Amino acid sequence: MTTDPDPDVARAAIEYCYEQGWTDGLPVVPVSQALLDQFLAHTNRDPGQVLWRMEHLGRECTVQTAAINAAMAGCLPEYFPIVLAAWDAVMRDRAAKGGGWQSTSGPAPLIVVNGPIRHELGINCTGGIFAAGFRPNATVPRALGLMLRNAFGVAPHVFDQTTQGIPGRWAICFGENEEESPWEPLATEMGLEPEVNAVSCTLTRTYEFVDNRHTQNPEHLLNDFADTISRTGVMIFRAQSAGIVFCPEHAQMLADAGFAKADVKDWLIEHSGRVEADLRRVGKDAVSEGGLGGRSAGEAERVPGDVFTPFLPGRQSVPIVVAGARNAAISMVFRVFGEWSNSSVEIEAAPVAAVKGG
Amino acid sequence: MICSDAFKATGDAMAEIQGAPGYRYLTTPHPVAGLTSEQVRERAEAVAGEVARLLSE
Repeated sequence: MTTDPDPDVARAAIEYCYEQGWTDGLPVVPVSQALLDQFLAHTNRDPGQVLWRMEHLGRECTVQTAAINAAMAGCLPEYFPIVLAAWDAVMRDRAAKGGGWQSTSGPAPLIVVNGPIRHELGINCTGGIFAAGFRPNATVPRALGLMLRNAFGVAPHVFDQTTQGIPGRWAICFGENEEESPWEPLATEMGLEPEVNAVSCTLTRTYEFVDNRHTQNPEHLLNDFADTISRTGVMIFRAQSAGIVFCPEHAQMLADAGFAKADVKDWLIEHSGRVEADLRRVGKDAVSEGGLGGRSAGEAERVPGDVFTPFLPGRQSVPIVVAGARNAAISMVFRVFGEWSNSSVEIEAAPVAAVKGG
Repeated sequence: MICSDAFKATGDAMAEIQGAPGYRYLTTPHPVAGLTSEQVRERAEAVAGEVARLLSE
């Protein structure tokens, strides 16, 4: 005989989690040993395996701690291999390994899923990829945020030094719309076999839409993207990385005009940037090529005002993915925090017993 | 150690987590990133006496 869950008991457990400081402000799922065991059954990894250790904080996150936080985030146990792959993928970024999680910019992990698992788990790839409404899209990135908070102690106002952060910082996860993309999936481009379940993840700083349903000329469209990529406000160093989440309509228009993904990257590399006079006008003419330093306004004219500075150093600086619906010609430019590893991580298959529900 | 005053909470927390609660360090007004070379020099001069005093205690 089953009985309805008692809402008051559930609420008391949720409030207990708040009192412990375990939440990101929203309610979390209270985790029993039985629920934790279900999560651990979906990986072959040892619960005590250390996923990452932040030496300077003296804190680490084990597989078991990750599982607890994934459960608290609202993940289903079968999402856990995606959480592990997302963590492994983002930690390939030099910035994530180098203190990026504590950055004053408050970067957000961007999680892209490829492969059949998108449909098996109901990961949204089409309408509303940046909006709420789909459990895996909402809970997988939240799991990473809770891991940061609870395993590493990176919480706002102390070890998380975020100035403002990014709207939806722990909510950016979607599947690539492989079915309507004219190009190879992101994970395939990164060298994995087609149809492999994979996660790509990098830290990002902001998202800016490009709404262009106005032209059928591919160069007009690319100019619109280059204009957004060339905004001076995002510039910290001269070398930057800007990716695009193309809606299917934009991607198909470019592909129909003969642009492979690499051609789009090359076009944007050539056309994205600003002349020196523009940089001087906003006090960024002394910005260095990379690394720290050189952030102050130039005290003397370094080069003529009409010298063009390209912002994107190479194809590795222009990640491209296709997602969203065919509803309108609206795409999204995103800013990579540092540089993406340009790699995808295969999602580990769950043990057979877990798949059978054992 | 000297850090800009916006990061005092983090600095104090780092000291505690490293086993040195109450570790004494100096602060300079935030921000620092946009200062000219001359302004950085002025900051250094302003804090130099305190650096010497802290090191000699």
